[in-house]
Amino acid sequence: MSSTVAEPLPDLVVGEQPLADAEASVSVRALRSRFGEAIRGVRLDAVGTPVVSIDPARVHDALSFLKTDADQAYDLLLDVMGADPGGDLVIQVWYQLWSMENGRMLRLLVLLPRADLSVQSAVDLYPAADWLEREVYDMYGVSFEGHPDLRRILMPENYDEGFPLRKDFPLRGRFTRSEQVRRALNRSTEDVYAREELALAGVLEAEPAAELAADEAGEAEDYLAGEKMVINMGPQHPATHGVLRLVLQLDGETIVRCIPHIGYLHTGFEKTCEYREWNQVVPYTDRMDYLAPMLYNIGYAGAVESLLDVEITPRCQVVRLIMSELNRLLGHLLWLGTGAMDVGATTVFLYTFQERERIYNLHEAYCGGRITTSVTRIGGMVADLPVGWLDACRELVNGLPATLDEAERLLTRNSIFQARLVDVGIIDAEKALEFGLTGPNLRASGIAYDVRKARPYLGYEEYDFDVPVGVVGDAYDRYLVRMEEMRQSIRILQQALDRVPDGPINVQDPAVILPDKSEAMSSIDAMISHFKLVMEGVQVPAGDVWYSIEATKGELGFGLISDGGPKPVRCRFRGPSFVNLAALPYLVEGGLVSDVIAANASIDIVLGEIDR
Amino acid sequence: MADDRKKLPTVNPLGGDVDTGPPASWLITKVDAVVNWSRRNSLWPMPLGTACCAIEMMATAGSKYDIARFGAERFSFSPRQADLMIVAGRVTYKMAPILRRIWDQMPQPKWCISMGACASSGGMFDNYTIVQGIDQIIPVDVYVPGCPPRPESLLYALMMVQEKIKGESLANPVHREESPDSAGKPNLPPEAIELVAQPFGNSTRQNRISGVEGSSAISRPRDRRERLLEHQD
Ligand code: SF4
Repeated sequence: MSSTVAEPLPDLVVGEQPLADAEASVSVRALRSRFGEAIRGVRLDAVGTPVVSIDPARVHDALSFLKTDADQAYDLLLDVMGADPGGDLVIQVWYQLWSMENGRMLRLLVLLPRADLSVQSAVDLYPAADWLEREVYDMYGVSFEGHPDLRRILMPENYDEGFPLRKDFPLRGRFTRSEQVRRALNRSTEDVYAREELALAGVLEAEPAAELAADEAGEAEDYLAGEKMVINMGPQHPATHGVLRLVLQLDGETIVRCIPHIGYLHTGFEKTCEYREWNQVVPYTDRMDYLAPMLYNIGYAGAVESLLDVEITPRCQVVRLIMSELNRLLGHLLWLGTGAMDVGATTVFLYTFQERERIYNLHEAYCGGRITTSVTRIGGMVADLPVGWLDACRELVNGLPATLDEAERLLTRNSIFQARLVDVGIIDAEKALEFGLTGPNLRASGIAYDVRKARPYLGYEEYDFDVPVGVVGDAYDRYLVRMEEMRQSIRILQQALDRVPDGPINVQDPAVILPDKSEAMSSIDAMISHFKLVMEGVQVPAGDVWYSIEATKGELGFGLISDGGPKPVRCRFRGPSFVNLAALPYLVEGGLVSDVIAANASIDIVLGEIDR
Repeated sequence: MADDRKKLPTVNPLGGDVDTGPPASWLITKVDAVVNWSRRNSLWPMPLGTACCAIEMMATAGSKYDIARFGAERFSFSPRQADLMIVAGRVTYKMAPILRRIWDQMPQPKWCISMGACASSGGMFDNYTIVQGIDQIIPVDVYVPGCPPRPESLLYALMMVQEKIKGESLANPVHREESPDSAGKPNLPPEAIELVAQPFGNSTRQNRISGVEGSSAISRPRDRRERLLEHQD
């Protein structure tokens, strides 16, 4: 489709160093010379990524230039995020772009006046924009012209209270609670299904054009193939990994269309976080990806620290890295257990849960919680490691390979397992990039992009580990990649456990971290800073940032905007499985209905972060 | 005080005359014993796991906590073959009609455990999308506190349901009454929903609304006797 993949991709995607000045960026200069007046401003965000503010009328041209120009080659659209600074100010739409070939990141910013909330859709350039734009529409009411299917995605389709993430929308909704309950229970079938699906099922009359097309197609084929059937899978289904709903149109056993519906777990995280102080957001983060909670804690803390320009202590860095890798194992082990169970192998689930219980024990010894850990604080951690924790962790890490071997012995060469996974849900590198896949799903398609290597954080560049990639991009490859990733995590852990330095775990900055209790009781300075921090919270300077880490499911991005106050103006969480799930119809259409389960299990989703 | 009297135990500690409902015959009590024994030891849960709490529910089914010890390991993903609904996780207004529908599809007798702060009261999400307690939508037998509750808590809730089943009787159908008119309708009247859905409302008002005494008022036998005497005056 474009020249992006014509160039062979590098073996390993490695990012450029952050810039000191926005004008030094190649892309900024190219955009300036090409779009001149349409460029409204250029600056760097808190981690040194260039931000280009551009005229809404030209943004589609700019995206198209950035994607197709050989020197730019921004082939991955990571995120489209909306933001409302409040008052009568304009609504912002941000695009996050990444170029695999050059290892560069660029952010485009569009300011839309409230009277005219429309911008041209980017779906024709980046299919990944499909769901991302629908979300911005759902939450802010920005209409994307040319979008093929612009309707609400997280809220119910006939939701009539407004656009939740706008600042003038009350946190608890516009209607009273009893009214909200009444409305929710009074929804009719038409509201739960999209019009198109009702037409497919024959409840509504099909649009004339669709009917014609169906007739013509029907005549050409065998008359037995005619009758299509619509089935509804979920939101209460054992194999959808949560409250995902898929509407499938079948021709016999073959899937003709698959339409995912999400939002049954939309929890309003992003809205609620705007009403919490920076440190109070931490407990919300681990409830998004409850399969690997600490990764969200750590990513969020890192993002806020980059806004504050705080450097965490060396000990904290290594502790966070250990926690990250433990949680990667935690997430992958759950995927392994449930994924195997989905295709009929229950034993693996029992093995992996045993191992997860051991990791939970470590969580518990450290912070008291098993799943909802909330371990980070801005500038440090909730506590230092307890005595003996590192030894317990070492013991666990040494025992893990045996469990993995056992699981592999049961699965990898198992002919039933292979029959269910090999050549199911194939996606090649070009398509995977277009859909914005990240994490193991992208690597299984052959692109060695890992945030830990491309833009190292927490000192990942000092550790020795490999990035496994797949060849075919099918469900079996995704299985193999994740298995190998677990072994690499063990490798990282073995290195990290030997280099935990001594020293304080928290930064020694009274404006960020609470002083010791004993100090607060004995020194007046410490008492004052304790009081100020408790009463006012951490003050984060005005600014914005896009900070991402490698979570278990892909690139986990945090888009934060601060106005200098104690609370965030915008807290955007780019849950990787939200974008990954949008590729599911591509993976399953044309396949058999039983493959939906295998394909869905293989992309490893968690509804908590999809619906947020 | 008038309300309190209605909740007095049907067994009179003083041995006086208290209305205990229809007389339980010898046969009925024997049949009850057998039926309740079999019901409580083979509860088939309908796991409505939506979020983090569902992971703890899975851990409960795992080998360490092993819910099979209580005869409840047969997770039934079809509501038609289930008798214990476990709502584990947050329920949104978008999910509410589905929750109600699944509950209506479960045949009697059925019980419900509301697992975790979110299901019981909305938890830390007092916002535009989360139902502030599933008891606004379906009746609940046991609330499990915690965010998430540990597997032990869920097992304890299961034992409480078993305990509740022990006290049921075929002669007293009050628990099993269900009118088809109530299908698809909220479980509480609008005023009650407003009351429990206030900020912090559910934690303080829920017990009263659901007809259970406040959890703080533990009534010791002596208090009960005093109240009873008061009642007899
Ligand atoms: S109660 Fe806590 S753990 Fe359970 S679903 Fe709610 S936020 Fe998650």
